[in-house]
Amino acid sequence: MTSRDGCLRIAAVGDVHMADDLRGRYAPALAELSGQADVLLVAGDLTQHGTLDEAAAFAEEFAAANVPVVVVLGNHDHHSGLDEEIAELIRRAGIAVLEGEGVLLDTPRGRLGVAGAKGFCLGFTGRCAANFGETQMKAFTQHGIDSAGLLRHGFDALDRAEPAADVRVALTHFAPTTSTLRGEPAEIWPFLGNHLLGEVIDASGADFAVHGHAHAGSERGRTEGGTPVRNVAQPVIRSAYRIYEIPVRVTAA
Amino acid sequence: MSEHTNQRVEQAIANDARTHELGVRIECIDRRVLVRGQVASRERRAAVLTVVREQLPEAEIVDHLRLSDATQPPSRTETIE
Repeated sequence: MTSRDGCLRIAAVGDVHMADDLRGRYAPALAELSGQADVLLVAGDLTQHGTLDEAAAFAEEFAAANVPVVVVLGNHDHHSGLDEEIAELIRRAGIAVLEGEGVLLDTPRGRLGVAGAKGFCLGFTGRCAANFGETQMKAFTQHGIDSAGLLRHGFDALDRAEPAADVRVALTHFAPTTSTLRGEPAEIWPFLGNHLLGEVIDASGADFAVHGHAHAGSERGRTEGGTPVRNVAQPVIRSAYRIYEIPVRVTAA
Repeated sequence: MSEHTNQRVEQAIANDARTHELGVRIECIDRRVLVRGQVASRERRAAVLTVVREQLPEAEIVDHLRLSDATQPPSRTETIE
């Protein structure tokens, strides 16, 4: 029997919407992360208009974080059609950008696996798009379905890791549950999240999930299967980031 | 003014390259327009109000926008159970 004492400490924020007017706002707090957290997760909408200048501002600002940084993109990062270039620019700055991938981080307190994907709209029970009708409607719905498939690919990658991660976390921009959407008008929930993301998270045995996108939502919730979820959109958490301690699982040898 | 007007102005705020703010809500009451939501900086608040003014030049704008500019480190850590 092997076990590691304590918890992995995960800092997380989403929806920073970086542009020139926000330069210098996050760096002082990020410089305090070392010793407080093992990793920083950023849940999409790194930029406001999806431009390369804003992506560079994000990379420069978040270079102040003295822990590994893992991000997914959000819908704002796609707005100018430069999502691939933004991802590459941010990767060159040493930040992991996940879209259907998993990343493993060995920390003093254990091995962290993060599966990440942006996600997409689709909705939840009773308020869900159907893959039916017009070509445009089917394309919208299929993109939501595919986005959950990408998250599953991320967990598949973690499944193949040897040794296995001690803690498995899902990182998305769109919400995997309605429980963190409370505060948002129910009419727009289908544009804020996707029940298939929650299904993937529950099926994967994730320990924790973080997302953003729902600026008027609630911080704390769970998937239908009981996985803890936190909405870390900056307007929700009202700080530079949150820090969550995740108990490291005890693994039979 | 009407729901159509509210929607038209909200769409303008979402689509305008100066703003791209999706969380701003507009409510027109007689000749007054209430502007609600959160923005990240004073510059973004000014940009939103500019777009509203362009859309409704005759209206009296009531600014209820809030700044989500609290970016201090958190005061506590939460243990996930």
